[in-house]
Amino acid sequence: MKKDILIAGVGGQGSLFATNVLCQYALERGLNVLGTETIGAAQRGGSVVSHMRISDQPIYSPLVPPGRGDVLLGMESIEFLRNIKILARNGYYILNLYSLPTVYTNLGIDRYPSEDEIVAAVKEACEKGYIIPATVKAAELGNTQMTNVVMLGVLGKVDDFFEYSEVKKIVEKISPKKFLKENLMAYEAGRELV
Amino acid sequence: MGEKKYVMGNFAITRGAVESGVQVAAGYPGTPSTEILEGFAEYQGIHAEWSCNEKVALEVALGASLSNVRSMAVMKHNGTNVSTDLLMHLNFTGISGGLVVISADDPAGHSSQNEEDSRILVHTYANLPVFDPSNAIEAKSMVKDAYELSEKTEMCFILRPVMRVCHSRAVIPFEDYDEASFPKAQWRDDRDRYIMSGVEVPELGGIKRPQARHRWLNNKYKELQELFEGSPYNHVEDGEGNIGLVGCGIGYTYIKEAAGMLGKKYPILKLCTLPIPKKKILGFLQDKEKVIVFEELEPVVENLIKQLCQENRIPMEVLGRSGFYPPDGELTAQMVLDAVKKADPEVKVIEEFQPRKIDIEIPVRTRTQCVGCSYRSLLYNVKRIARRYKGIVFGDIGCHDAGSFKPLELQSTIYCMGASVGMATGAFFAGEKRPVFSIIGDSTFFHLGLNGLINASYQNGKQVVVLCDNATTAMTGFQPHAGSGINLYGESAKKVDLNKFGEAIGVSVHHVDPYDNKRTYETLKEAVQEEGVSLVISSRACYLKGSREGIKFFEPREVHVDQERCNGCMVCINDFGCPALIYEADNKKVHIDELTCVHCAMCAVVCKRGAIS
Ligand code: SF4
Ligand code: SF4
Ligand code: SF4
Repeated sequence: MKKDILIAGVGGQGSLFATNVLCQYALERGLNVLGTETIGAAQRGGSVVSHMRISDQPIYSPLVPPGRGDVLLGMESIEFLRNIKILARNGYYILNLYSLPTVYTNLGIDRYPSEDEIVAAVKEACEKGYIIPATVKAAELGNTQMTNVVMLGVLGKVDDFFEYSEVKKIVEKISPKKFLKENLMAYEAGRELV
Repeated sequence: MGEKKYVMGNFAITRGAVESGVQVAAGYPGTPSTEILEGFAEYQGIHAEWSCNEKVALEVALGASLSNVRSMAVMKHNGTNVSTDLLMHLNFTGISGGLVVISADDPAGHSSQNEEDSRILVHTYANLPVFDPSNAIEAKSMVKDAYELSEKTEMCFILRPVMRVCHSRAVIPFEDYDEASFPKAQWRDDRDRYIMSGVEVPELGGIKRPQARHRWLNNKYKELQELFEGSPYNHVEDGEGNIGLVGCGIGYTYIKEAAGMLGKKYPILKLCTLPIPKKKILGFLQDKEKVIVFEELEPVVENLIKQLCQENRIPMEVLGRSGFYPPDGELTAQMVLDAVKKADPEVKVIEEFQPRKIDIEIPVRTRTQCVGCSYRSLLYNVKRIARRYKGIVFGDIGCHDAGSFKPLELQSTIYCMGASVGMATGAFFAGEKRPVFSIIGDSTFFHLGLNGLINASYQNGKQVVVLCDNATTAMTGFQPHAGSGINLYGESAKKVDLNKFGEAIGVSVHHVDPYDNKRTYETLKEAVQEEGVSLVISSRACYLKGSREGIKFFEPREVHVDQERCNGCMVCINDFGCPALIYEADNKKVHIDELTCVHCAMCAVVCKRGAIS
């Protein structure tokens, strides 16, 4: 078995917690894990991509090659679109429908596509997936930084490989005490979005 | 026995050094290498330091090595450029305690001003032995072996991890180590080696010492070649046919990835050492007609194999970076597939990659200063002054460099660390009538900027140097420096007094609080009208770092754009450019995004129509 996952977002959105949970999950099952992330400058606002590869076979490259990704998690709409080539024919996506304008879209040099256009383009390009308002949900729960935990809840619900309650145990185990309650709420909230 | 941990490649390197008994580690921050040195902070009894620049770091590491303890210098490729002069001497002298230099490359320039292959400097130029790890686990094991071999051969060893190794995350074995067994410092004079000077060496017929040591190095190189014949980091994997694939470092992993998609099993030669193991390679070449070499970033090994074939009169097509596949940028599994198909058109590819069609324009995303960052109002004022006096602004490396992109397009140049001040001096002496400015951050200033400033003053030049002092190396993740007042461990440290420094070298020193718009503008105006070199120091801590630590930067104020007053002139965006200011193309008006705004109210002074308040 193999599970190649890509998480695309914008610097400052935070996805490290989610990758740690998924990695821990795979390690506890005795699987191989290899990952990489593009860490840009400390400044916020650049594109950020993390690759995470899980397999019962040896893994060589930490990069998921284009067309081989099993799951594409989009934390932000255009960063998701930018990485769509990674998704395998039978792969699926979870897109957090959330727009962070770029310097150039603010300037009016580029145009940020509308939500309708994004949804239409995604449905045209990919067969299988879920479009969810994870950031909106996280904001309702009090902290947009929990977007990635909400998305984890969706993943736990829709992906047979990630057993919902087992992933939850890991969320519980590795959450810092301060965020434990919030994280568990966000994880549960994810399940209810799909 | 030890445990296993899922860590970043960089920490695997740190751990390898710790288990090897490194006592002194020095470096300068630079993506992708930064976390290696940061990792040492967790371990007791090791002196780790953020040096002022990489050459100083290497000097520190060398001094420790000659004192007979194990040491490490950590840098990215640009830093290796900076320390080349020392490399070109320590390669002749050899070392005492094990010395390993980490020279991390960033192919594609994800977080760099250029892309380069530092193997050329450290190996082709300095003739030093290099390990080129294919993954994090190997990197750790190479570090440990490098220390053993460094002492055995008296040579400085280089580990050249690329970004994908540094920033990979993998399960790494943590082994135990016995601190008591590590050697203690003990200096021993060895004048024949450590005094590099053109004195005669009578035992060698009176040739000069540099030539004698060069001879020593050439002999060492041969010894290393023999040594690497048996290296566990080079191996052959059997396959069919007369086309062989050679994978160097990370290149090997892309070959293995691609191998799973190819309908034929090609013989593979993994090569992760320099010098190359000649006999092993000759063995591999025996029944081949073509080999394709996959390496990052330049055709280093490819050229060495070509040379080997020529020396041995072997007719062989040696293909690679020199033109058979793209000669720039990172490798990918797809590049391997394409190259193999080109060399062997018969081969079947299982599951050919078909790109998904996506019918939408995707906007690019550039970085900019964080919302709330004091650099934004500083750059805004520099831009106003530069416009008013038709100035030319020379840029440097750091968070302020984003001012060179749209919308500000303030700085006209960005080269390497510290270059701004010297270049501004040159433009002035070229006879440029427009006033010249340079913008440089504090960490960059201590790195290699202050020489340029001393020179500007000494030459009687004229320029305004804007020193962006945020008390940290922000871009790489907040490492302290000689102006921070703390060291790598967060303990208090001496802090350079920039006032006294400016006075001592004879420049006129000004101070501004960048959040004070009016005074900042007035001070810059004063400076540009002065004779000689003016140093305008803008001192405010990094907002991103400081706000996380609970520092209060300003009195937060609700700010709104009056939609009636706003006429869409876009001055607030073009000259200031806070990412929370959003231009709505439909109604040609600007509004503030509530989710991102931090209520610094800096933008309020920017709108001359008074629409922002
Ligand atoms: S990291 Fe600090 S210095 Fe850099 S842009 Fe952000 S606030 Fe400014
Ligand atoms: S807010 Fe002021 S500066 Fe910005 S576009 Fe409107 S009128 Fe122009
Ligand atoms: S107050 Fe103005 S400058 Fe400050 S963060 Fe908000 S929009 Fe940006």
